[in-house]
Amino acid sequence: MNYVLDFTPVLDGLPDLLAGCLGTLLLALGGMAIAIVIGISGVVLRDSRHKPIRWAVKGFVELIRNTPFLVQIYFIYFALPLAGLRLDPTPTAILALGINGGAYAIEIIRGGAQSISRGQVEAGLALGLHKGLVFRLIVLKPALRAVFPSLTSQFILLTLTTSVASAISAYELTSVAQRIESESFRSFEVFGVITLLYLGISWLMMSFFSTISTRYFSYPVK
Amino acid sequence: MTRFTPTRRLVLAAVVAALTLPAIATRPASAITTEEIKARGKIIVGIQGDNPPWGFVTSDGKQDGLDADMARLYAKELGVTVEFVPLEVSNRIPALTSGRVDVLFATMAMLPERAKAVQFSKPYVANAIVLIAPKSVEIKTNADMAKVSIGVAKGAAQDTQVTKNAPAGTTIRRYDGDAPSIQALVSGQVQAIGGNIFYLQRVEQARPGEFENKLEFQKLYNGACTRLGEKEVNASLNAFIDKIRANGELKKLYDKWMKVPVHQFPDSLEGIPFSAS
Amino acid sequence: MGLGEFLFLLTGLKWTVALSAIGFVCGSVGGLAIALLRTSGVRGLERLAAGYIALFQGTPLLMQLFVVYYGLALIGLHLSAWVAVSIGFTLHASAYLGEIWRGSIDAVPRGQTEAASALNLKYTSRMKDVVLPQAIRISLPATIGFLVQLIKGTSLASIVGFTELARAGNIVSNQIFEPLLVFGIVGILYFLMCWPLSLYGSHLENRLAVASR
Repeated sequence: MNYVLDFTPVLDGLPDLLAGCLGTLLLALGGMAIAIVIGISGVVLRDSRHKPIRWAVKGFVELIRNTPFLVQIYFIYFALPLAGLRLDPTPTAILALGINGGAYAIEIIRGGAQSISRGQVEAGLALGLHKGLVFRLIVLKPALRAVFPSLTSQFILLTLTTSVASAISAYELTSVAQRIESESFRSFEVFGVITLLYLGISWLMMSFFSTISTRYFSYPVK
Repeated sequence: MTRFTPTRRLVLAAVVAALTLPAIATRPASAITTEEIKARGKIIVGIQGDNPPWGFVTSDGKQDGLDADMARLYAKELGVTVEFVPLEVSNRIPALTSGRVDVLFATMAMLPERAKAVQFSKPYVANAIVLIAPKSVEIKTNADMAKVSIGVAKGAAQDTQVTKNAPAGTTIRRYDGDAPSIQALVSGQVQAIGGNIFYLQRVEQARPGEFENKLEFQKLYNGACTRLGEKEVNASLNAFIDKIRANGELKKLYDKWMKVPVHQFPDSLEGIPFSAS
Repeated sequence: MGLGEFLFLLTGLKWTVALSAIGFVCGSVGGLAIALLRTSGVRGLERLAAGYIALFQGTPLLMQLFVVYYGLALIGLHLSAWVAVSIGFTLHASAYLGEIWRGSIDAVPRGQTEAASALNLKYTSRMKDVVLPQAIRISLPATIGFLVQLIKGTSLASIVGFTELARAGNIVSNQIFEPLLVFGIVGILYFLMCWPLSLYGSHLENRLAVASR
């Protein structure tokens, strides 16, 4: 039997696929927003004066970074309802992506914060700046600037990870693709085209981050 | 940490690389005959891994179920051993058409749209697609389905049926297989599921007394599948199915798994040829 | 959960370990080739390697597995699911390891290569005896980091129907309907595999940081 490639089902499904791309972007951006919040608060809490808090943050980071995302998302979706927390697939996916990305963000941002020398902070305090302002201007911003490339590649990875959310029926590109595949049985064609769409999405994300980088994190030009 | 910095040029290069793949991929997947299967000494069977009692993996890792027994009987008929390839609902047909397996004994409901992609054999077992929902919710007609969120296994017959029959706007969630869809019902992520005649039995184990079969969408027959145009294997499967229907082997399988008398099978189904042309 | 179910999870674990090992070992060979191509100085080859890396780092692992799984069969290669999935992970790992090692090769001071050239060392010897030993040392923490990522990534093989740890968990959870317990145990098993590696990775990183201070 000759297998002849046939892309018509994919072309017919293109509007749905593009809508799926938007779903993927929604998951990715939502996940990143939560990840940034977790990342920054985690860095603050990790240097807390209270030992249990420090340990909790450390434990959280290790736990998340050493278990697969698929297991995390299954756990949140299938197991937590038994403990009384029931979320729809899309919020579950955003939350899971945020928690997963957040654990990495804590480590990455912390690495940047550690590179800020103690003297800078002391100088800031000596100038009479408020503690919060010192953290924001002298620690956080330069730290984010230093780690921006790592953060970017982590967030690209997060964007690609959204495809796993199809396992709990969240609305995104992979699940739309699987729908088209199961109606047309054209797996190779469908997944081949989807792969290219993902390539486009990661390129889009990349451009987005480099714009942010030049706009907010470049040193003022003299 | 790896640094990934795709420039526009790199992405273009990657696109070119990706586009060359299909060019290589248009070579034919070779047809197979029973002679080749015998010469190889084993038949590769696509089967379900998580859909008891049709096809499932037991907790000691053995492939079991009605489909597994069917496949073993057929292999015995050919005088070869069986290699099972457990498949997800949605990748059964691709696994066959791409040549990954020789034949499917995989709860394959005989549907006209599938018959365009694969060659069905004569039916060997009957099934039905139903909606399972809480006893407390009144669901009498298809329109009532809008009241509940419904889970299905992606690409399964229940996916097709629920999608077709539910009113527009009904929440339908599609999962990666039978197991996750039942899991979703049990965890309360959906209120109802589309499934086959044995789903309720499984749901009962986890949440006894809460659910019942509400709607029956379709009576179905399951057949074995081969690739389109492979006349020889298809003919051999049909002869085998005739034989086990006649000699009582099929009844033994029915007694073991289905626990009902052997169904009357139709001699033809609209739009689904049993023999390869 | 009975002993039978737990042993079934362990069978899944065995496949997870096997898949990770194959992906890592074969991916190391592929990764080395990619890294050497990427730093070869020959424009065409560098472009090719860069395109390969961009393709695999810019698309989801799940898609790569799907495309390889179905694509290999379409080109007439009838491989078992196990081999097909292994090839998928090998291609994936080659791209990531290739990029990590390219970075480490670049991180070895240029003077080293120049000195080796001045000593009339050929390319093979220059790489094998001078550059790579240093590059490997630099790359170790990132390499181990990727190994952890790979082990976790093998869970996606479950979605193409390969019965490894995550899928075994799914099956068991559906037999005994205790997802909290089952996914908890599955998570712990992954954690026990990955955590020691992570710790070792950060230990090496700290040592490297001290050494280069």
